[in-house]
Amino acid sequence: MSFNDRIAQGLESGWKVIDGARLTDNHTAEADVVIVGTGAGGGTTAEILAKSGLSVILVEEGRLYYQKDFKMDELTSYANLYQEGMSRTTKDGAIAILQGRCVGGSTTVNWTSSFRTPDATLNYWARQFGLEALSPAAMAPWFEGRETRHSMSPWEMAPNLNNDILRQGCEKLGFSWQVIPRNVKGCWNLGYCGVGCPTNAKQGALMTTIPGALDNNATLYHGLRAERLVMKQDKIDALQATAMASDGITPTNITVTLKAKHFVVAASAIGSPGLLLRSKLPDPYERVGKRSFIHPVNASVAQMPKLVDPFYGAPQSVYSDEFNFRNGVDGDAGYKLEVPPLHPAMSAGVVPGHGDEQAKNLAGLPWMQSVIALVRDGFHENSTGGTVSLRDDGSPMLDYPVSDYLWKGLRNAFYTMAEIQFAAGAKKVRLMHLDSDWYSSWADAKAAIDGFSMKPHRVRLFTAHQMGGCGMGSNPKESVVNGFGEHHQVNNLSVHDASIFPTSIGANPQLSVYALAARNSTRLAQRLKA
Amino acid sequence: MTDPLTLPEGQDSISLDRRSFLRTGLGGALLLGTISVTAGLSGCATSPAGRLGAVETRMDARYRFQFLTADDIKLFEALLPAILGSALPEQANARRMAIASTVERIDAGIHKFGPANQKELRQLFDLLNLGITRVTIARIWSPWPNVTTEQANGFLERWRSSSIGLLNNGYMALTKISNVAFYGYQENWHLSGYPGPPEWAVQALPQFRKA
Repeated sequence: MSFNDRIAQGLESGWKVIDGARLTDNHTAEADVVIVGTGAGGGTTAEILAKSGLSVILVEEGRLYYQKDFKMDELTSYANLYQEGMSRTTKDGAIAILQGRCVGGSTTVNWTSSFRTPDATLNYWARQFGLEALSPAAMAPWFEGRETRHSMSPWEMAPNLNNDILRQGCEKLGFSWQVIPRNVKGCWNLGYCGVGCPTNAKQGALMTTIPGALDNNATLYHGLRAERLVMKQDKIDALQATAMASDGITPTNITVTLKAKHFVVAASAIGSPGLLLRSKLPDPYERVGKRSFIHPVNASVAQMPKLVDPFYGAPQSVYSDEFNFRNGVDGDAGYKLEVPPLHPAMSAGVVPGHGDEQAKNLAGLPWMQSVIALVRDGFHENSTGGTVSLRDDGSPMLDYPVSDYLWKGLRNAFYTMAEIQFAAGAKKVRLMHLDSDWYSSWADAKAAIDGFSMKPHRVRLFTAHQMGGCGMGSNPKESVVNGFGEHHQVNNLSVHDASIFPTSIGANPQLSVYALAARNSTRLAQRLKA
Repeated sequence: MTDPLTLPEGQDSISLDRRSFLRTGLGGALLLGTISVTAGLSGCATSPAGRLGAVETRMDARYRFQFLTADDIKLFEALLPAILGSALPEQANARRMAIASTVERIDAGIHKFGPANQKELRQLFDLLNLGITRVTIARIWSPWPNVTTEQANGFLERWRSSSIGLLNNGYMALTKISNVAFYGYQENWHLSGYPGPPEWAVQALPQFRKA
């Protein structure tokens, strides 16, 4: 079968794409700029720099997967497209981390929600971190530009019932709700965004900026792990990288050395601090890996009287910000309400349980509806985030202690989610907590939540948004990079991903990453060509 | 491995230095690291089972285990009936096949977890396989092949309801790996009422057409 998709055509036309698993000898290559990571940040940077005429090398640890591989199968996709085969967690195992690991990064597997950075967040950054240049007015053209580039607009089709139940519950209770903007073009409304878009409708990095960069002569290595940046005097001289075998996880003994005038790290909020730490780059105030944020997520599931089929249809199309900034930007923890898609493996992983009871729970999947709450972390003195450090083998891990401040927000979110589901007509509701039963009334659920022990492991927690760890700010004593993503200490290093956020965003972060990377890459291109 | 190890007279059921145990996350585990070494020295199978004979795996002699050891396989064969409950077929042969293929997918999944999480699972599985820790921490008195579904269920319930976060974490690791490998598999989709990808889309998309 021949494929006419953007990637297959590009490969056919002679794009410079090198599979680390096929390398047989150590080698060295050189470009104006080496970019580590091919997600929202790396892809944007690569396209802008390559179009400006600079020579660019992109490095991706994961492999290149595209339409031919996207067969709407959870197990294959989780194993190949996600960090640690979807088993990544925080250090204590209490928070499951959903994060992409493939060309396109998390944009290849995200659920397409495309929000601008909230004004309240940008204004907080201006006040707290000296980032006045990132005001809502100054950022507006960058958001607009990226909304065009990635075909982002509010979802025009009717939401699936899974999402509509969130809308119905909010309507009943007088909570605000909105339609989610999505980055899709010609979407088939299938519901498989999280396992690699089977139709190429999703306009993530894989369908936009990566092809844009490769069309402009960039080189892409995939299956190549960035080990360390090597300094020579006060500058980075080279990136040392290791080729991975075709399983994507076993390192080979092939080494690639990539030299450049400038290096851009965009390896994610876990990967980027990890690379900087492994490289032992100057960090006089020990800021690398600190203030890592994750939008801690808790969840509630409901049994609805009607078939929901939560596995079909655009996974996220309705949200509520009723509780996100209700207590002010820096008051009690706020949370955004959204809906997750529920396919069998995802549901089996999210809903805790075993035995006959679990069999019964999952047999009810077609009638199941779920709401998730994304807690806005990093805006309060009792929410200072987690820490990325290195394991003995040099791999990065995130330690994220959940503070009492956040537990309070998570408990409030449990109340809200159950109340919304009952208001929308749920027969029963179960909170994702090891002590939760199915409750058949809002009063019962409320009483049970009052008594929940809010502790790691008992509360089931997730994160799909990793941010911070190389925070930006005007004061080098409190940050790793400046407001343009330029490293405070190393002149030829920039960081262009979600790791530079000084707090969480308060919304799904992809557009924030695209917009900042576009802004900072435009500046970088001017600087390098001067 | 050699069994059974009996508890010394009067020893509390969780008498291993409890505080050091509590400090141990599934990561950075000094105690568990020690257990892995001990497991190796005491004759536990510590290398991947590789290809097992068709009789032993009771399914596909071609499957090559990359992570699970022979002892780990016995552990899952004992736990899966308790974890999957009535979702497993009743008919004996179908049941054996379902368990064996789930164990294979668990192995394939763990291979993709990468070294760091594999190390943690190795510690968890060694803890459950080594007689002394199996008895003291899991409170399972006989080797896994002799454990009934009720006993396995009792163990899962204890770890689930424990006030020790690490045991809750062990419960989640065992059940999550098993549930995902089982319910996520195409042949079991019907158990969660999932019809699979819409047929019209499968018909229309090039990646599903034969070359």
